[in-house]
Amino acid sequence: MNKRAAVLVSLSLLLAAILASTLTYRARITGWNPLPAFSLGGLDPKEHTVGTYTTLVDEEGRVLDKMARPVYKDDEFIAADNYRYRVTEIRGDLAICTRIGREDVVLEGPSFSEAPDMATPAQAGGAKNLVAIYHTHTDESYIPTDGTESIPGQGGILKVGQVFAGKLRSLGVNVYHDVSAHEPHDNNSYKRSRRTAAQLLQKGPAALFDIHRDGVPDSDFYRQVVAGESFSKIRLVVGRENQNMNANLDFAKKIKAAADAKHPGLIRGIFIGAGSYNQDLSPRALLLEIGTHTNSREEAQRGAGLLAEVIPTVLGISPPAGPAAAGTVGDWKGVAFVVLAFILGGLAFLVLSSGGWDKALARLRQYTSVEWMNLLGQGRARPRGSGGRPDGNTRKVLDKSIVPAEKLPSNDERKDWQKD
Amino acid sequence: MAGYPLGVIVLVVLFLLIYFGLAQRVLDRLYLSDRAALALLAAIIVGSFINIPLSRGRIVSSINVGGGLIPLGLAVYVLYRCGTRKEIGRTLLAAAVTAGVIFALNSWLMRGREPWDFAMNVLDPLYYYPLVAGVTAYLVGRSRRAAFVAAILGVLLLDLIDYLMLAASGIRGTVAVGGAGILDVSLLSGIVAVLLAEFIGEGRERLQGGPEVEGRPRSLLEGLRLKTAKKVLPEEKRSDRDE
Repeated sequence: MNKRAAVLVSLSLLLAAILASTLTYRARITGWNPLPAFSLGGLDPKEHTVGTYTTLVDEEGRVLDKMARPVYKDDEFIAADNYRYRVTEIRGDLAICTRIGREDVVLEGPSFSEAPDMATPAQAGGAKNLVAIYHTHTDESYIPTDGTESIPGQGGILKVGQVFAGKLRSLGVNVYHDVSAHEPHDNNSYKRSRRTAAQLLQKGPAALFDIHRDGVPDSDFYRQVVAGESFSKIRLVVGRENQNMNANLDFAKKIKAAADAKHPGLIRGIFIGAGSYNQDLSPRALLLEIGTHTNSREEAQRGAGLLAEVIPTVLGISPPAGPAAAGTVGDWKGVAFVVLAFILGGLAFLVLSSGGWDKALARLRQYTSVEWMNLLGQGRARPRGSGGRPDGNTRKVLDKSIVPAEKLPSNDERKDWQKD
Repeated sequence: MAGYPLGVIVLVVLFLLIYFGLAQRVLDRLYLSDRAALALLAAIIVGSFINIPLSRGRIVSSINVGGGLIPLGLAVYVLYRCGTRKEIGRTLLAAAVTAGVIFALNSWLMRGREPWDFAMNVLDPLYYYPLVAGVTAYLVGRSRRAAFVAAILGVLLLDLIDYLMLAASGIRGTVAVGGAGILDVSLLSGIVAVLLAEFIGEGRERLQGGPEVEGRPRSLLEGLRLKTAKKVLPEEKRSDRDE
């Protein structure tokens, strides 16, 4: 009874602490008005952070970029001129950046082991000539055209996606444009849109785009005028918290290279930020920010159309026999990352759970001998061809009744994996 | 996959292999044998491609077999196999707390904000779910199985909250329970929560120099390979494995 009381007390303390901290945090960021959040009326998803934004500057204070999000230390971005910067310090709404080099942004890419002759026929023939598009924030809208910056479930962004899809179709690309709503606009949006993204990936698209818009008030910052017609610029966003980051970054660089060649000024830059944005699902997934909420939707639609023109070339889908979608170094960096993470994580767990290097090694040996045999049946344990009875250790393990359990230290290891 | 460069294929296949491998190891711990875990994993993979529509119109809702139904069934099965009523109570409490905390974090605090807009942005929201579920379940239930059930039910509860909110607000929305199949947040949370509970549990036991045995019921002690436990229990009652 005493223990139970203790558990209850600690639990209620925990709950109280969580509640108190959320209340405090909420009060701090929005002014004191926590109560409406508990009523459904308070859950109107229209609230947005458009208008507040971060300005990225270099050490001399020159403005490099602006975006409607707090930027974090170690975020990186590749500016329109292909210089790569890293955020080294945050001062309020200012992010101080250091130039860390110039990126090789070329469409061909450093050709890696797979020769073009390997990739080209596949692209021309059986490859899925399909691009999938969805919108995590289906409410995002453009004030000059849509009248407001947010229309839950029916945002102007959907129409921008339509134009992007339509242009791709006119270029002979199959497009699947998903307009599922992922309201309300909160942190769970990505959980909801993840389902849409996963369903889209089941169709086997060559690329997956999540189309958004930015929330920087300065519309000129996102506006480009060519021959008297204005269009909005586009930012490519790569999430750096997943195993596909390098592959997706290379993909973004190829799109930028192609767009820079055909429509200079269209790409605002590539931002490599904290987050994952469902890009862990595919190594060919990108988040696009097409203009900002103060651009007109027509500008954004024109920008989207221009971007669509270069996609077939980048994917090697289209006429006139564009360079095939060759592999990139980033793909292999991703592979190395996954392998490394697996080995390190596995080793750490093994050492931790078995209590020392020696035991970990012993358990590893145990794993290879017993675990797989258990899974695959007894065939593997028998010497090939002989078909005779298993010998030695194997028999001990298989035929538990022969040997009392105490005399089988190895089975403890097996049990270890399966204990409650 | 044809047409993708080799690097991409290797990357995807490798990732899936490791993920499936971990998933199998986790299922293995839920009153399931190795083979049953493997079969279930196969069912989840196949089920990922099957969506059962529930409603159309303004709120489009569906449940995915691999990402929603099977994990839900598994959670219910684990609950059913729970030893005591107290354990069931704790686990359900952990599920409710998990749903509450994630909802508070992601919806209430973050409403109208980008996911990267959180003051303590270290992680993508995707990773909050399993972390919260794992830690909550560990604090409340102190077991891997509680962690699994709390994570699965907690995240599924969020879908229910979503549905109610959408129904009340009158806006267009989608509730695709477990829609991303094996890669859905619900199953992912269940798997990571179990692994997390394991890391915390093993780490803590290591730090304190072995599991606590004082005052624990025999049924729990018999799973341990402690000298004392062996002496206490009669020979024939000790099972070699707990299924």
